Amino acid sequence: MADGQKKVRRGLSYQRRKELYGYGFIGLWLVGTAIFFILPLVKSLIFSFSKVTIDTGETVTRWVGLDKYRYALFSDRLYTEYLGDTLLETLWKTPLVLIFSLFIAVLLNHKFRGRTVARAIFFLPVIIATGPVYAIISGDMGTSGSTGAEQFSTMFSTDLVGKLLEFLGIYGLSSGMSSMISTVADNIFGIVWSSGIQILLFLAALQNIPPQAREAAIMEGATEWEYFWKIIFPCVSPFILANLIFTVIDAFTNPMNKVMGRIHDMKEEWLFGEASAMAWIYFGIILASVGIVTVIVNKFIYYEVD
Amino acid sequence: MAEGQSPDKGYIRRKNAANIAGALFRYTVLFGLGFVVMYPLLYMISCSFREHGDMSDPTVIWIPRHYTLSVIRETMQAMDFWDTLQNTLVMNIGCSLVQVASCAVTGYGFARFSFKGKGLLFGVVIMMILVPTQVIALPLYTQFRYFGIGNFTVNLIDSMLTMYLPAMTGNGIRSGLMILIFRQFFKGLPRELEDAAYIDGCGPFMTFVRIMVPNAASAFLTVFLFSVVFYWNDHYVSSTFFTSTKTLSLMLENLDSQLFGSSASEISPREKIVWKEAGCLLSISPMLIMYVFLQKYFTEGIERSGLVG
Repeated sequence: MADGQKKVRRGLSYQRRKELYGYGFIGLWLVGTAIFFILPLVKSLIFSFSKVTIDTGETVTRWVGLDKYRYALFSDRLYTEYLGDTLLETLWKTPLVLIFSLFIAVLLNHKFRGRTVARAIFFLPVIIATGPVYAIISGDMGTSGSTGAEQFSTMFSTDLVGKLLEFLGIYGLSSGMSSMISTVADNIFGIVWSSGIQILLFLAALQNIPPQAREAAIMEGATEWEYFWKIIFPCVSPFILANLIFTVIDAFTNPMNKVMGRIHDMKEEWLFGEASAMAWIYFGIILASVGIVTVIVNKFIYYEVD
Repeated sequence: MAEGQSPDKGYIRRKNAANIAGALFRYTVLFGLGFVVMYPLLYMISCSFREHGDMSDPTVIWIPRHYTLSVIRETMQAMDFWDTLQNTLVMNIGCSLVQVASCAVTGYGFARFSFKGKGLLFGVVIMMILVPTQVIALPLYTQFRYFGIGNFTVNLIDSMLTMYLPAMTGNGIRSGLMILIFRQFFKGLPRELEDAAYIDGCGPFMTFVRIMVPNAASAFLTVFLFSVVFYWNDHYVSSTFFTSTKTLSLMLENLDSQLFGSSASEISPREKIVWKEAGCLLSISPMLIMYVFLQKYFTEGIERSGLVG
């Protein structure tokens, strides 16, 4: 047997053999993916086009075309409302998270005492921020938790921002502007807490900038401000894309978001078809957003090496 | 005038002033935002050791008036803490170990071998990152409920296999991301290492085990730690597949009903926070302890794993 195998092997070209080894390495994953990813994916796509009934433990599907999609988009008030909310929130939160994390990364990149501690603190949310703990902290779980969140957000409340602006002599700010500022201020917690990974990625990018670049810039008389825009920004711009995509996906697939909650509720009510259709619409939106973001940002990025 | 006499001195003085101002600015901002990050944690600690009556006392904000351990004790009892902890730990570490192994092997396959359909299959990996769990959770549930072929089916719901099987085959929680990380990492290692091993007559698999794995030790540790964190924080997947199995995050979700049961309305919602925060503290404390000791592998690991770039 061993001989036979050897002969077969000798018959194969080196390239072909490496190809087989490649399949060998990914084989386990391939099997798993077929069973635990592709199959459910296809099934859920079928569910979304049919009326699903549970019959003695078997799911029976009957083709109904686009009915469930129509239901999700036009009949289910909550779903479309949540969808709009989530999209809007992602839209304004993502740039803020990026700006914030770049800002913090630039600060943390300087050498100063307590740098490791500061880094550890800013990364801490990643350890906690995805679980039910976060739901309790941010006060979403149940109605009773909200008091905690209220108490927290009073620290950065509308009043405070308004007072501050008045103190600075800014009166009569347009209501749109002031409501925007107060939303941001109210959500500072959410922004800080979803920036952990982004800060780290930017930090890694910043550390790739050679110190000579800074020296040269200072010799030429560049201010910090110019240095940031002329050197730092172009150097980290490729990472902005990575971070952007990460932030968008993170925002969309966060189990705490309302659309996910709605899909989960539908499932609890055994409305499998509706739930699947909702999930697929949502997924389509995620794909589209990531695609649009990639195309747009790619136009502005500066790649040092390609 | 002084600047006129010696421009150097003036320059240095200005520079020093700028440096001090910069440092001051940095510390202020970092301290302020650091406080925002730490706030929930500090609040948790402060809440967990006070009597619930203190919540209604307007004079108490941070420092409790009545210290007590009974809240922690009651919460522990309601969560069945030690059993649950053991359960969660065993499951998390077990799943993470097999997941890291399977993802590493897959990532290596994608990094170093070229085969037909590689582009397409790698597209599937990217899909795994993008597809929300909710899309596939439902069919997966029915699949696990009647796991098998034809009439040979077993009910896997509530068994640990619902976690272990996907993890083993590189389809666990956020496996796509981990495969991607490993692929990037292995791509970054020099090819000469393997070529030398091949010439010495080492097969690809042994090369992987003997040459690549030791070189990737830090990446393994980082991915493992993240995997533990992901499994620890997950409650969507586990609440889909588990009905009675206890994990910390599930117990935390049900803490309300466990603790108060029918007497839910007797205690004001505001005072209930005490127990909730205690529950939070209990369920993240193992992660926090791990983070304190292994912090450097989390933060440095990402930078070095090659995920960047």
